[in-house]
Amino acid sequence: MNRIGEHFHGWIYAIFALLTLCVFFACVCLGSVGIPLRDTARVILDAIRGVPSDGALQLARSVIIPVRLPRVLCVALVGASLALAGAAMQGLLKNPLADGSTLGVSSGASLGAVMAIAFGITFPSLPFAGSMVMAILFALLSLLIILGLAYRLDCSLSTNTIILIGVIFSMFASSVMSIVITFASDHLKSITFWTMGSLQGASYHNAAVLAATLLICATVLLLHANELNAFAVGEENARQIGVNVRRVRLIVLITVSCLIGVCVSIGGTIGFVGLVTPHMVRMIVGPNHKRLLPASLFSGAVFLMLADLVARTLLNPRELPIGVVTSIIGAIVFVFIYYRSRRR
Amino acid sequence: MKRMTKWLAVLTAAILLLAVGCTAQPAQPAEPTEAPAVEQPTEAPAVEQPTEAPAEQPTEEPAPDASVSIIDMMGHEVTLEKPAERIVALTASDCEIVFALGAGDLLVGRGEWCDYPAEVLAIPSVESGGNTNIEQILALNPDVVVMSSMAQTEEQVKQLNDAGVAVVVNEAKDIAGVYTSIELLGKLLGKEEQAAAIIDGMKAQFAEIEANKLDGEQTIYFEVSPLQWGLWTAGGGTFMNEVAEMVGLKNCFADLEGWAQISEEQVLERNPDYIVTITMYYGQGPTPEEEIMSRPGWENVTAVQNAAILNLPNNELSRPIPRLADGAKILYDFVMEKAEALQPAA
Repeated sequence: MNRIGEHFHGWIYAIFALLTLCVFFACVCLGSVGIPLRDTARVILDAIRGVPSDGALQLARSVIIPVRLPRVLCVALVGASLALAGAAMQGLLKNPLADGSTLGVSSGASLGAVMAIAFGITFPSLPFAGSMVMAILFALLSLLIILGLAYRLDCSLSTNTIILIGVIFSMFASSVMSIVITFASDHLKSITFWTMGSLQGASYHNAAVLAATLLICATVLLLHANELNAFAVGEENARQIGVNVRRVRLIVLITVSCLIGVCVSIGGTIGFVGLVTPHMVRMIVGPNHKRLLPASLFSGAVFLMLADLVARTLLNPRELPIGVVTSIIGAIVFVFIYYRSRRR
Repeated sequence: MKRMTKWLAVLTAAILLLAVGCTAQPAQPAEPTEAPAVEQPTEAPAVEQPTEAPAEQPTEEPAPDASVSIIDMMGHEVTLEKPAERIVALTASDCEIVFALGAGDLLVGRGEWCDYPAEVLAIPSVESGGNTNIEQILALNPDVVVMSSMAQTEEQVKQLNDAGVAVVVNEAKDIAGVYTSIELLGKLLGKEEQAAAIIDGMKAQFAEIEANKLDGEQTIYFEVSPLQWGLWTAGGGTFMNEVAEMVGLKNCFADLEGWAQISEEQVLERNPDYIVTITMYYGQGPTPEEEIMSRPGWENVTAVQNAAILNLPNNELSRPIPRLADGAKILYDFVMEKAEALQPAA
């Protein structure tokens, strides 16, 4: 596998951004209801200029502008956030299998959001903020618990220890969630369905929240790319070259928790994106986090948008849950990558 | 490094297993044949599977006289010495039918989701569906257990039979199936006359509606699960579809078989004239009708423009029960009233 050298830095961004944009437009143009490319462009332009569309374009307009566009936007942002979080965790923990879903952080975040709904934790004027804040807090709490337990068992935080604890924690969080749901009053039984995740009905409001979170978290993580590189070699090494290990670790963990918490509270648990995307990207741009992080961000968006496209159109007019598609594609790609890398 | 790779292999396997687990879960609601219970969150308590299922063989030899012998919906023959006197019904629809037959006093146990009529709540509740607990059922010492085919295992049936409890599987998928299940339970409980009366009543109500039905030009969309959880609808081959036809409306998702998760865009494109939602309202936030009216992009849907949205949260249309006839009547009256209200303007 040829790796692109450091000096390609500038246009790697350009290529990835362009690819992401192309996929984005393709996903907006394709969907359950077939709308000609020209009409799609027309209604988008009309919407931007704020003028009503012709009568014949009424359907196209009400499909594209309030339904399809915000959904594709949210999907892209969730994909980018999850992949970025995965890449950062894999670097920080020096662990190629780290990801929100394998470490149990997503389950923890779901638990937080479910508890917010079950116990009616809300902030006045911001109806969804309650579950979002709880999801973030629980994501962070789960990370701290998992890493705390792992440290007690073995100070070097070896791959297997963390993952096994993550799997166990994941199961634990799911059972607590079942208990909360069982004790919650009748109408809260509907929470069960929330945990499966759905980006149907995603709004521009959701997209704005996701975009803001991603912007802040991506900036923070990119500013710590050097430190992540040091961590990827080893924590001891990082300490020796003068990285404030404790501080950086805490910052990265909080950032990752925010990303995962917001994604889970909006889209539910979507597995494999954070695990597989950084792996694929690493094969192309190499392990340097300065390139890996932005590349993961764009690729995550592309991966999830394509998965969602499959979910939306494969069984048209039926729809598949997006998590099913990512898990199937993700598992196959992962096995492929893993075997290739072992053979080498 | 080498050691780590070895571990990696093991872990990959573990994670893949995990992934399969994860996939299985979300996939579940996709089962088209499954009943609303699964796909339809807010209403979950409602429907357990409209059931049908294997039944079990007679554990005892038929006695000459009062013996009752029926073939249940899975084609198993069930024979009892005399009409059942202690019965456990696990699905909400079976409980309703038992009460409709006037045999509510014979119910010694009910599934946890049974909620109609209100008297049913006083009856001891047992776990049902995937959590069916044989010990709980045996503790109630029933003659017969009526259950659905879903989540019922051969082992469970055998355990019940070994304990001398007959198992009857009852699972109506269409209106004819509802008649059959009423007949079946009527026979089982020695209430055949009542069963016949209920069926005749339903048929009469349906006939009355059909006699004045609409021309089949207008379309209806049944929303079984709201947008928030992913849209689910009732397609062809469901009793909701049959009711639509009876009223003279075209179900706009009749091309799909059974219950299906559908794309929001499709609803906009198919542009239904009427919408029926079975989402329950819990007294806070917008009502299900308001929520549908406020969805971005739906403002051009005919039903939304005419506010022709009907909420039927009490399972009148979503359970295979005698009340289906009432549900059909409510829908018919609603459609007629809307049509009249719109007429003068035109």
